[in-house]
Amino acid sequence: MKVAILQMEGTNCEEESYIAFKESGFEPEYLHINLLKKGMLENYDMIFVPGGFSSGDYVRAGAIFAARLKAKVWKDLKRFVEEGKPVMGVCNGFQVLIELGLLPGTDGISEEPEAALATNESNRFECRWVYLKKFSDTIFSKHVGDKITLPVAHAEGRFLADKKTIEKIEEQNQVVFRYIAPDGSRPDYPWNPNGSVNDIAALVNSYGNVFGIMPHPERAFFWYQHPDWNRVKRERGDGWQIFNSLFREIIEAKNR
Amino acid sequence: MNLKKIMDEVYEIDLVNASDEELMEINKEMGLALSLEEMKKMQAFFRSLGRNPTDLEIHAIAQGWSEHCSYKSSKPVLRKYIFGIESKEAMIVMQDDAGVVEFDENYAYVFKIESHNHPSAVEPYGGAATGVGGIIRDVLNMGAKPIALVDPLFFAPPDYGEKLNPGIKHPRYLLNGVVAGIRDYGNRVGIPTVAGITYFHEDYVNNILVNAGCLGIVRKDKIVRSRVDKEGVKLVMVGGRTGRDGIHGVNFASKILDEKSEEEKQAVQLGNPILKEPLIHLVLEANEMGIIYGMKDLGGGGLGSVVGEMCHAGGVGAEIHLDQVLLKEKDMAPWEIWVSESQERMLLAVEEENIDKLQDLCKKWDVEMSVIGETKNDENLRIFWKGRKILDMPLEFVTAGVEYERKYKTKRMKKMQEILPEPKYREVFLRLLSSYNIASKEWIIRQYDHEVQGRTVVKPMQGLIGYETHGDAAVIKPLHHSWKGLAVTTVANPHIAKINPYYGSLYTVDEAVRNLVSVGAKPHAFSDGLNFGNPEEEEIMGEFVESCKGLGDAARALGIPYVSGNVSFYNEAFGKNIPPTVVLMAIGIVNDIRKAVTADFKREGNTIYLVGETKEEMGGSEYYRIMDAKSTVVPKVDLEETKNRSEEILKAMDESLVESCHDVSNGGLAVALAEMALGGSIGAEIDLSSLGAMRDDFKLFSESPTRWVCEVREENSEEFEEIVKSKRIGVVGGETLKIRDGERWLFNVHLNIMRERWKNALKEYIG
Repeated sequence: MKVAILQMEGTNCEEESYIAFKESGFEPEYLHINLLKKGMLENYDMIFVPGGFSSGDYVRAGAIFAARLKAKVWKDLKRFVEEGKPVMGVCNGFQVLIELGLLPGTDGISEEPEAALATNESNRFECRWVYLKKFSDTIFSKHVGDKITLPVAHAEGRFLADKKTIEKIEEQNQVVFRYIAPDGSRPDYPWNPNGSVNDIAALVNSYGNVFGIMPHPERAFFWYQHPDWNRVKRERGDGWQIFNSLFREIIEAKNR
Repeated sequence: MNLKKIMDEVYEIDLVNASDEELMEINKEMGLALSLEEMKKMQAFFRSLGRNPTDLEIHAIAQGWSEHCSYKSSKPVLRKYIFGIESKEAMIVMQDDAGVVEFDENYAYVFKIESHNHPSAVEPYGGAATGVGGIIRDVLNMGAKPIALVDPLFFAPPDYGEKLNPGIKHPRYLLNGVVAGIRDYGNRVGIPTVAGITYFHEDYVNNILVNAGCLGIVRKDKIVRSRVDKEGVKLVMVGGRTGRDGIHGVNFASKILDEKSEEEKQAVQLGNPILKEPLIHLVLEANEMGIIYGMKDLGGGGLGSVVGEMCHAGGVGAEIHLDQVLLKEKDMAPWEIWVSESQERMLLAVEEENIDKLQDLCKKWDVEMSVIGETKNDENLRIFWKGRKILDMPLEFVTAGVEYERKYKTKRMKKMQEILPEPKYREVFLRLLSSYNIASKEWIIRQYDHEVQGRTVVKPMQGLIGYETHGDAAVIKPLHHSWKGLAVTTVANPHIAKINPYYGSLYTVDEAVRNLVSVGAKPHAFSDGLNFGNPEEEEIMGEFVESCKGLGDAARALGIPYVSGNVSFYNEAFGKNIPPTVVLMAIGIVNDIRKAVTADFKREGNTIYLVGETKEEMGGSEYYRIMDAKSTVVPKVDLEETKNRSEEILKAMDESLVESCHDVSNGGLAVALAEMALGGSIGAEIDLSSLGAMRDDFKLFSESPTRWVCEVREENSEEFEEIVKSKRIGVVGGETLKIRDGERWLFNVHLNIMRERWKNALKEYIG
């Protein structure tokens, strides 16, 4: 299964993402947006938009990456999603998917962004580990445990949308992960690191094939990437569970 | 100043017939920052050629001879003390832009620390960002992938209340600007910032220090040298365009700051991480393809320094066509192009047959390139402008420059130590926890992405998630297929160096070793960042000489080489020099990251040991500072002890006997214990009676070197005691830190109270 890891100036999590896919049994390939041409996406089974600061995030985070994708391959991308192929974005990649209108995607694909990932309530970039609780089983989360821990590293991660959109997201069970306090209760800062509405950390679209997540699963792929590895014994990192979920739900299912 | 226009933008300067007075006038008008002696040397040279120089020639020489480029004041001292410490693993030492040391059979690590002080004092955000950008290029141009950044910073206290000199900005403004600059550059470029220092002292009020270090990893067969040793190799500029930003940066760096410094903002360069990020990809990909013959980044001194040093090092000449350089603004004069320090530029030496391949890569990554000249089979540098030759000089004269044996005087302070009435221990302890040099720097650390690249296996903040404490060093796992790791730390002790620079240096080396050993790393190599005042003052030069002597003595005894470094002089403003500030970036090897150790207490019932001797040496201590007590008795390091204790601890760690480990430094034993307790969110009960007969404030707050606190499981304690010379001082457990000396209780403080003091002390000043 071929995964296109999209690159442009300022994406900077592509290497650890590449390793995560490769180690999970996928065939990842870097695809720089400068080399991306119409018709090319058909050659891939999945698209991954990595984290980073595409174009410096000097405009709104992810806005320029999204605009360039739209200008180059919007039709291809829509077809990709309509066909049910998986698309995943992490951190800046999540921001890009929202800017594209692929997420939250309460009615499939939207031509205009329906939501935003706004500046953190703390008003600054923060890098810290958070606890997440799973709220929905999708191809990205089916084989993920109930509670996991992953790192966040962003300045713009506060999910915001109008009341109606939020209601619809909840109604359709589109929230995949929420931030929680260590004891499992509703989190205050810093457990909800950005002030996200309803503690939303990760979403899936209404089709169930486009997934965006603010924390970085690819940075918690191996057990030794966890900050508490000398306290808690793990076979693998918690982030691995997400990649493994995809593998089992797509590749194994195909071979079954 | 007599000048004659010889073509557009190029003038000939009458230097040959100038009087001394006129020479200094030329010096001033052209902003050269040279001495009369140097101007006369230049004059004699052109007299011998029987012609006058162009403005470009004068600027090129001034650039090459600046303190920043030539190390003219420091080199003789460095040669005597710092250079030449033997090491089997050091591969490239003090030659190119960064040091290269063996990591394993196939890989080497590359690192360096550098200062970016003056620009940051004038423009904290841009200055700090550029400092980060520059040090990344130093590592990149060895062909290495940058994998970690460090940032030691020095400011006046954030609550500084005295009147500020004209043009000087408040430390709070500077601190916030610098942190934002490092954050926005480092995070965008995708390299984790994993270590650093934020240090406060009144003497930095006029002149802050911003140092930045970078660590990289490279396959040995892909190491690129900053030299070309063959004629006919094309010189190609890649990356950013050349503009008027950063003109005379090196001359600016070699001057004292004053109220006019604000007007020299032109000397501050502007960084662009989003140009840098693809540039890193491009360079690494080109290197992987084997098409880079030599490479050097454009930093201080710009194109002039780079062409000169790269060709001079390889023993070839060069021909440059300045009109081929891509510009940000059209009407730049050749001399401006030659000395501009615009950021994000690299000079690649590429053989003609590979130019097309480089062109293709540039297209993919959207990076501009331009062939600006080639190497020649002679010793001269020749520069052309629109077809006409406007510079023709031997490279040796321009780059080898000058050297000074500056006079120096060693200041000796009389030995004295005030003895205070015995303090209220609980109160002093809490005051120390909230002292700004000890209090939590989490606010700063978390603004830097320390996780990107996924290699940070021991984090800068260590402990239970949400309760982390300051770690001693971070550990990076550079290679996917190997368990071997690199520990990174930075250290500086200006408070001790100010009293005695020699012992300050010993202490700093000892602390570097302590920090690395704390995480389970064998100390392996150093990069030295030397920040001093005005070297033309004999006492300052004396501080420099003593500091270097201490650095040399300590590292030689331990067998750890300095493989790269940087000297920053003229950190003086309004008659006030900074304290001698030796910053070390230290790298250690962790043989197996699975055995790395962190600083946070792990489990109730474990035994706590103190390793090392505690002495009544309070000079420079945080305790004496907050009590306003005087002492010139600074901690002395016994290097034999440093060696033995660290080997013992590493052995115990290798046998997995150590649950947590933290070195004893600022604030002494009491603070070290508090930090370990905070990180594990678990208390301890301590009895100091095994430290012998000494007043308890010395036992608790002395900053004697070569000490660690180790936590060991009860079942391993016998084995630990056999390996490590140590004293049992207590047990982990409870929700408070309880300390007594035999029957006498000194204090009992709840974790929540400690955390509140430690975490919130800097909060009101920052953010």
